Amino acid sequence: MTLVAGTILTFLGKERAKYIALGVSVVFLLEVAGLLASYTAWPGPSNGSPGYADLESYPWIHLSWLTINYTVGVDGISLVMILLTAFLQIATVIYSWGETRQPAAYFGLMLLTCLGCFGVFISLDVLLFFLFWEAVLIPMFFLIGFWGGPRRRYAALKFFVYTHVASIVMLVGLLALVFYSGSTSFDFSSIYVAAHGLSATVQVFLFLALLFGFGVKFPIVPFHTWLPDAHVEAPTGASVLLAGLLLKLGGYGLIRWAVEILPTGMSHLTWLLYIIAFSMIVWGSVVALAQRDLKRLVAYSSINHMGIVLLAIAVYSQLGLLAAVLLMFAHGVVSALLFMVSGSVHHTFGTRDISQLGGITPVTPVLATMAMVGSLASLGLPALISFPAEFTALLATWDRIGYWVLVPLVILVVTAAFYLWMMQRVLFGPKRNLPAIVHDLPWFESAGMGILVALIVVYGILPGFLINVIVNSPVYGFPGFP
Amino acid sequence: MMDTTFVATFAPMVIVLGAALVIFLLDVLGVRQLEAFGAVAVSATAIALLAVLADLGWAPLAILRTIPASAVDAPLGPSLYGVTSLGLVFQAIFLTSALLVSLASLSRPSDEKGAAVFFGLLLMATVGMLLAAVASDLIFLLLSVEITGIATYLLVGYTRKDARSLEAAMKFYIVGALSSALSFFGASLLFGAYGGTSFFTLENGTGVVGYPALALAGFALLIAGLGFKLTLVPFHAWAVDVYDGAPDDVSAFLAGGSKKIGIFAFFLVFVGPVVLAPTLGQWCAGGHCATITLRPTIELALGIIAILTMTVGNLLALQQKEIKRLLAYSSISQAGYMLIGVVVGTAPALAGATLQVFAHVFMKAGAFLVVAAVLGLGVGPRVDDWRGLATRRPYLMFAFAVTLLSLAGIPLTIGFVSKFVLFSAAVQAEGWFVWLAVAGLLNSALSVFYYARVLKTIYLDPLPEAAAKSPRIDDPIGLGRSAAIAIAVLAIVAFGIDPQLVLGGFQSAATHFLLVGA
Repeated sequence: MTLVAGTILTFLGKERAKYIALGVSVVFLLEVAGLLASYTAWPGPSNGSPGYADLESYPWIHLSWLTINYTVGVDGISLVMILLTAFLQIATVIYSWGETRQPAAYFGLMLLTCLGCFGVFISLDVLLFFLFWEAVLIPMFFLIGFWGGPRRRYAALKFFVYTHVASIVMLVGLLALVFYSGSTSFDFSSIYVAAHGLSATVQVFLFLALLFGFGVKFPIVPFHTWLPDAHVEAPTGASVLLAGLLLKLGGYGLIRWAVEILPTGMSHLTWLLYIIAFSMIVWGSVVALAQRDLKRLVAYSSINHMGIVLLAIAVYSQLGLLAAVLLMFAHGVVSALLFMVSGSVHHTFGTRDISQLGGITPVTPVLATMAMVGSLASLGLPALISFPAEFTALLATWDRIGYWVLVPLVILVVTAAFYLWMMQRVLFGPKRNLPAIVHDLPWFESAGMGILVALIVVYGILPGFLINVIVNSPVYGFPGFP
Repeated sequence: MMDTTFVATFAPMVIVLGAALVIFLLDVLGVRQLEAFGAVAVSATAIALLAVLADLGWAPLAILRTIPASAVDAPLGPSLYGVTSLGLVFQAIFLTSALLVSLASLSRPSDEKGAAVFFGLLLMATVGMLLAAVASDLIFLLLSVEITGIATYLLVGYTRKDARSLEAAMKFYIVGALSSALSFFGASLLFGAYGGTSFFTLENGTGVVGYPALALAGFALLIAGLGFKLTLVPFHAWAVDVYDGAPDDVSAFLAGGSKKIGIFAFFLVFVGPVVLAPTLGQWCAGGHCATITLRPTIELALGIIAILTMTVGNLLALQQKEIKRLLAYSSISQAGYMLIGVVVGTAPALAGATLQVFAHVFMKAGAFLVVAAVLGLGVGPRVDDWRGLATRRPYLMFAFAVTLLSLAGIPLTIGFVSKFVLFSAAVQAEGWFVWLAVAGLLNSALSVFYYARVLKTIYLDPLPEAAAKSPRIDDPIGLGRSAAIAIAVLAIVAFGIDPQLVLGGFQSAATHFLLVGA
């Protein structure tokens, strides 16, 4: 509710929009913190049937043959995602403090995107979920198309069309799920119960439809090509939300609506998921290695990381699910930081071309530090947030498919080497091509990144905060969940 | 008792017809102010709308209710007319579109020539639509459609000077005459096959046994004849030229209003007699007799036409360079969605199709009204001329964006809900209807391409060079037009967020419609 009112206010706020946006974000974060605090007191998955904290349900469309409710609620998985939303929102708003072009619309669309993501994470009704899912699309289309780089119009249209087509397929899948299972309403819990009656073949087909629908946002190879374009052309703030939140929508949707509801369908398709996950991991990092543009590099490494998320989902175990959610949180924070870094590099030095940059540490120490933390976190240095997440993911993979775990492991090592080389070159190498007068980061950019760095370190050292929340989810009590 | 119901049934038509006559009378008396005619038209449609809503049983207006509840949805028998709640819903929809268009037309230049003709004909067309909504006899229905048709042919050419609208009017007239001829010929064949033309007779198959081929031919001719009105592929070719050539506000009425008479005609002619009627009769030849059911054949034909209409409309819309033509083709594709409701023929599907019609009034009339406003500001008709228009007219373009997003079926708009209900109903009905839903969904994915392209042009592309000097256009578009557009936008969003406001009513109306059997 705060978000809705705040978003409207921000649109109307003209020059004051950013203050309103910040205020809204802070209030929202506090609300999420409150939710988190109350959630830890919640009993958890003891009774075995799906149950959610803060469940609210109001009738929305009631016809004789169609029951759709406004049902929202959170479990540990969605709570972690909401926490990510709140943090990224506040960090992005602060980071974008210097935006002067149509600030009211910019911050308004920003908040609208976060509102959509929040809605996706709390929806427990198919139609409501779809509504929020689509609601994310439109502000992002405008953010990329209006504030983006030189090829922004092409990128915006491509983003819109790709993800919209995927949404349609997803909608078909979800509707088919509701009607074929004979569920009495569009609520998650009644679909969950009804879906048990579906035959394996039907489950496989439904799972495929949903996999495609969620997968394009994920983005699974080979439907990933919108991602580099959209990321590179998007303004930094939008890239952050895109990588930090929008990709997570795909992962979250897959877990919530496909994996939890259609376990049988999934178990027949594990091989496909492994293939996709491995190709994402390999393809993402190989292509990343070939990039010279910092932003493209981060974009492709996102594909790599999301590949590990998919792998963790595919192994379908308690540990794997935990790893997937943890990794999504980690990647959300880290990729957000890295996109901010590349955005700032671009502002400061006028280029993002790795080969043109060198020795920036003495000139811009703060920026260099941020870049350092981001890269180290991205390659999985212990005590930073990605480490527990990736470690859990690899452990879960080992449990399930043994030595195949070497594939992501080797790739991780290669990527790590590459990151180190890049940092050595950009941050510490001989000075090259630097403009005569360079200022270090403006305060708001440092503050925006600072929030993320703090998250990376805090949750890197104490991942238990998140883990305890995640394993408190109903899915951990589902019968038959390994 | 009978008499009061009779009066009450036709009260809305009389109000609107009376207003039309008043307008013509004022014109003869020498009144030349457009506002005067407009005021009469707006108030007459508004009063008629209130009367219809009261008869629908809308609680706040209960005091105005004239048709007793017992007379609505009463079993009809072989009668000429009868009040069904679905008919009343359609009357309300028709009146809403007439109201929107006349409200917007208030903003045209006060001394415009032919204003009386415009408003008078608009009301005459509305009368025909209102009559069609109470028809329970095929001939009555076709005559009502004809009344609307003649008024709209004239409406397209009312400016009399513009060669393009005259051409459009002529084309519309010739096609319309042909379609009427086909429909009436079809009706005569049905009369031969059934021995009557009331829908009761058609539905109960009390006709002359032994002429199923005749009946099939009759229905086929009706598909063609009414298909012209509803712009179904392959009877759609006229629509684009007519919508394009007609004066802008008339296009809004044609696409948003008068076309909808076609879908209600399809409801009456095909849902009752075809979908519900179990069998036509015995087909005997050479001593063998077989029971003939028309339903599968006609259903299949209509299903194919629905898919064709959606697909062709969308594919052609993709290639359009002019806004009005693009909207015209998108209007064709929307007719295909509506036809799904007829083919599936269950109460949910009819409710969905009705919602789609309801939505289309606001989306399409809203979009055409915006186009009329923009063209009135001196911006060219090509999509290219609209580049960067959002920075020049932000609020107007926001309204346009809402109508386009709704046409594209983006959530939180009524266009999404209507498609959602319609497609869900098709899926819920099972059988091969599922493929109609799939075709519809694929088509709405396809349609997003061209709507998004227009949005991209308006919002993201740089201004054309000629316009760069005067970036803002500050000319007013008039209070009436702004009000009409604002109503459309509000309705799109409000019903998009809470469709239950009308959907429950549509559902029960559709259920009664099927029970009464028209």
